[in-house]
Amino acid sequence: MLRFVVRRLLLLIPILLGLSVLVFVWIRALPGGPAEALLGERATPESIRQIEDQYGLNKPVYVQYWSYVSTVARGDLGTSVTTRRPVAEEIEQRFPATVELTIAAMIFAVSLGVPLGFIAAKKYGGPADHASLVVTLLGISMPIFFLAILLKYVFAVRLGLLPTVGRIDPLIDISHPTNFYTIDALLNGNLNAFWDVTKHLILPAIALGSIPLAIIARITRASVLDVQNEDYVRTARAKGLSPRVVDQRHIFRNALLPIVTIVGLQAGLLLSGAVLTETVFAFPGMGTWLVTAIKGRDFPVLQGGILFVSLIFVLINLLVDVAYAFINPRIRVS
Amino acid sequence: MGWRPLRLVLPLVAFALVFAAAGCGGGGSSGGGDNGGDMVFGTAADPVVLDGALVSDGESLRAIDQMFEGLVTLKPGTTEVVPALATSWKADPAGTSWTFNLREGVKFHDGTDFNAAAVCYNFDRWYNFKGPFQQQSATYYWQTVFGGFSDKKTPSLYKSCEAKDDKTVVINLTKPSASFLGALALTNFTIASPEALKEFDADKGSVDEETGFKPTGTYGTEHPTGTGPFKFVSWTRGDRLVMERNEDYWGDKAHIDKLIFRPIADNAARLQALQNGEIQGYDLVEPQDINTIKGDDSLQILDRPAFNVGYVTINQKVKPFDNLKVRQAVAAGLDRQSVVDNFYAGRGQLATQFMPPSLEGYADDVQEYTYDPAKAKQLLQQAGVQTPLKVDFWYPTDISRPYMPDPKRNFEAFAASLNKSGFQVVPHSAPWSPDYVGRVDEGTAGGLNLIGWTGDFGDPDNFIGTFFQQPTDQFGFENKELFGLLDRAERETDSAKRIDLYKEANREIMKFLPGVPYVNTEPALAFNSNIKGYVPSPVSLEQFSSVEIEGQ
Amino acid sequence: MSVAEAEARTIQLEAPSGLWHEAWRRLRRNPGAIVGFVLVATFLIVALFAPLIATHDPREQNLALLGGSCCPGPSADHFFGVDALGRDLFSRVVYGARFSLLIGVVSVIVGLTFGIMIGATAGFFGGWIDSVLMRFMDIMLAIPGLLLAIGIVAVLGPGIFQIMIAVGVTQIPVFARLLRGSILGVRESDYVLAARSVGVPGRAILGAHILPNAMSPVIVQGTLALATAIIDVAALGFLGLGPQDPSTPEWGTMLTDTTRYLQTAPFLALIPGAAIVISVLGFNLIGDGLREALDPRFRGRG
Repeated sequence: MLRFVVRRLLLLIPILLGLSVLVFVWIRALPGGPAEALLGERATPESIRQIEDQYGLNKPVYVQYWSYVSTVARGDLGTSVTTRRPVAEEIEQRFPATVELTIAAMIFAVSLGVPLGFIAAKKYGGPADHASLVVTLLGISMPIFFLAILLKYVFAVRLGLLPTVGRIDPLIDISHPTNFYTIDALLNGNLNAFWDVTKHLILPAIALGSIPLAIIARITRASVLDVQNEDYVRTARAKGLSPRVVDQRHIFRNALLPIVTIVGLQAGLLLSGAVLTETVFAFPGMGTWLVTAIKGRDFPVLQGGILFVSLIFVLINLLVDVAYAFINPRIRVS
Repeated sequence: MGWRPLRLVLPLVAFALVFAAAGCGGGGSSGGGDNGGDMVFGTAADPVVLDGALVSDGESLRAIDQMFEGLVTLKPGTTEVVPALATSWKADPAGTSWTFNLREGVKFHDGTDFNAAAVCYNFDRWYNFKGPFQQQSATYYWQTVFGGFSDKKTPSLYKSCEAKDDKTVVINLTKPSASFLGALALTNFTIASPEALKEFDADKGSVDEETGFKPTGTYGTEHPTGTGPFKFVSWTRGDRLVMERNEDYWGDKAHIDKLIFRPIADNAARLQALQNGEIQGYDLVEPQDINTIKGDDSLQILDRPAFNVGYVTINQKVKPFDNLKVRQAVAAGLDRQSVVDNFYAGRGQLATQFMPPSLEGYADDVQEYTYDPAKAKQLLQQAGVQTPLKVDFWYPTDISRPYMPDPKRNFEAFAASLNKSGFQVVPHSAPWSPDYVGRVDEGTAGGLNLIGWTGDFGDPDNFIGTFFQQPTDQFGFENKELFGLLDRAERETDSAKRIDLYKEANREIMKFLPGVPYVNTEPALAFNSNIKGYVPSPVSLEQFSSVEIEGQ
Repeated sequence: MSVAEAEARTIQLEAPSGLWHEAWRRLRRNPGAIVGFVLVATFLIVALFAPLIATHDPREQNLALLGGSCCPGPSADHFFGVDALGRDLFSRVVYGARFSLLIGVVSVIVGLTFGIMIGATAGFFGGWIDSVLMRFMDIMLAIPGLLLAIGIVAVLGPGIFQIMIAVGVTQIPVFARLLRGSILGVRESDYVLAARSVGVPGRAILGAHILPNAMSPVIVQGTLALATAIIDVAALGFLGLGPQDPSTPEWGTMLTDTTRYLQTAPFLALIPGAAIVISVLGFNLIGDGLREALDPRFRGRG
């Protein structure tokens, strides 16, 4: 097991290197050249020259790349052009927000998607199955931002049940030791705040989780259908085990494998979707941050943000692989 | 069929839904603190930094207005200069030495005394800005009003400041100026606590490796210290800026306990937040939402007096726009009336010149232009250009301005009418910040671009002086007569003569046609019906200290 | 002819026709696929015959219709009403189908072409070529799709052509991996081994067995990729990175422009949104149907 993990970690290195090269090249490919890109429209000839000196832009490419990599490795991801704060500091504030939203979306997707897929598989070919197919298809066919807009309009404006913007009511004051507002509220012992934060998460989580919900439901259905027809299930049934025991002991546990993989792989989808969902709900996470950066041509933020997000994504994939190997011992040996 | 986990999930979901329905929807003002209540106001963006000397964006100015005061201010809702931290003032006969008598017993939020030394500290601080602080992005307003700094690279209107005693301060100028006093009402010239400025490194800034100018001290982000009716509590970007009532304020204390600014970028989202009770008011209401708000009994609309102008720049550095006939063709090719009639929900008025009608110096007899595609084509022919004439026309994205709530919409309508009038429009756009404004200022936004202006103080110099008193890259022309005329008008101390000079200038400008103004609007703010006492100002200098929440 | 040769001949001849025939039969019986087919056919007809179907010029403005506010709803003259610049919404939606089709098809072609080239090379040659190419694909996959597209658009600048390329590029790794996996899988499968052991020449194996089986997931993915492309393009348009000529009738940008009118003229946003959902749904239904039809596991179950 350990060897497996170590091997996967080692494989990580070329990917990370490749990523850093990609981002490095990308920043130089941006219109206006890197100095102007980093300074924004406030660039004066003196400040450009200053940057070129400081960055060594007149030095050979490999020197530049090395200084870029060493700066990043130190944890210095640059400074935002719009807010003039260190990118790393902004990530510290914004990343937990997106993670919280993503986890909420995942909880929504899994807790509704798995049962939905399971029921559809059990009632294969029947109306429930077809209904679930329609629902899941609609889920992946609807643009997230459109769904978010509709949800907001119906539940917040028309029905007034849920909030439309932000993470927490501005009149609620709690300390933020972790920047995960749900945990912070609990740490503050403030249940009212906890409920308020949860309310703010509901609509964005539904919008964001709609596609993973659909995918998880379909995978669960397919997976259960597969396993259902396997020999060992037939044997178990033949042995006389009750359907429920068969479900639990054999079907569910084995169908779990692809589901777990898919759940892990949704990370990328969720991070992309977060960009769109957060914009609609003015949710102060990485999504709105990156969108503002694109529009405001805040290249240090884009560079640091994309690098960071990709790093997280790669790590998640690693975790998924490890988890998969854990569940399925056959993989470790290969 | 039994699947245990499913049976657990369903009731949980049902429970959650019931809970959601039972709980009150959205946020709402809790009755925390004393009995004044708390208020949440929806802004369009976060402030950039809370140091008046270093900002020029509306949201920073809005926040700073609540916590800081200057020597003078404007009477709420007007452009009339009234005392603030100075109780009276006088200029010497030469007009270059201004003596201010300061209010006594005023303290900064950190407990230190407000006095003449503090005033001089502030003025000298601005005058002595060096290096990165001299960039236009850092000290725009100082440079517009006073010009240069102590290093004398460019001449400055400011000469020196003397603290005669604790309550008398003299500001010396290098030449007389009729707009100096009005300019002092600008948020950028509010007085901050010298102790706080020093302690929190307000003057630390650098050309950062990556961003150009950057203030590196914590003054502007964590310790803004003024004398105003609200004091700073905390600021979390993207979430909220919290201020509370200053109990030691020298004047009428604020009614509300806590004032919170909440940035919500999307205009429609702000409306929804208001309807849902998450905020109690917001700025920059879109024209089509005004009726929706008016139709809701729990909400109200407040009007800001019209003090802006929306116009189309004509860049004469781009040929053939240096030809008067071509510029006249542009004026004849823009269907301004249709745009004003249809896009502003009745709150826009066709602009005949580069100033709003309420400002003195407005001329009733300027040359007027109407939409006439045939005439436009004729003029182009007379000018000897080939039709259709290709023109790069720029407009901003991701922004809503009081004079231009939907820039893209205005652009499309104008482009269509120009295309019918012998032009061929090539569309270009850029996000407002940071690109668009910079491009317009530098003259790299094509031959035509959409822009506008909201007045900062009640002086015609703030409109047409700023635009046309000197050569600019934006308009790209040299018209010595016009420059001279506006220069004379600025210096003229006799107010009747001054008004006449500005009227003449407006006539000249509309003959010369450096651009085509099209609208003056009455911007709107939206509030809950129980919010009383908010006084909209033409220059957006608005105090929350007079606001009361009815029923609190 | 020996028995072995006869067997080889039969294997050679049966595999292709058996596969496609059966798939087609199954597809025809799948109600979801039929619905999808109808939707896609409608979409294609509208897109291809837009000039005949639209009632007005989609870019022509008529400010007088606005009467001072926005916006008049559906009427006899204007089936879907009129937008904020007095343009006929029905015609804009119709021409929007054209744009979506164009952008979707080009993106998928870009992704497919490069993806197949890379994937086939990797799968067929194996060894270090395979490792290098797949590492490269891994790096591309390391960046979440939309962000990668945004990064590309940041370099190329906004515009229709640029988002086609950006979205296309994000699809390359998926096709590459798919094809490579397919080829690898098929290369080692029983019937190919059998064919080889009996002496069927390599080229024939490639043509009769490897490619048809490897292609089926690609076809399925292609349809689904088209669906994703349409949504991704709308997303980029929503973020303001799409067509730079604002009068362009593209569904995604139409959505951005009209959300501000949700309370006064909701149809302006709801109709283009519904159009996106319906078209994408159609492609997804067909893609699903194809997948089930071509899935070897279901073969033999009729």
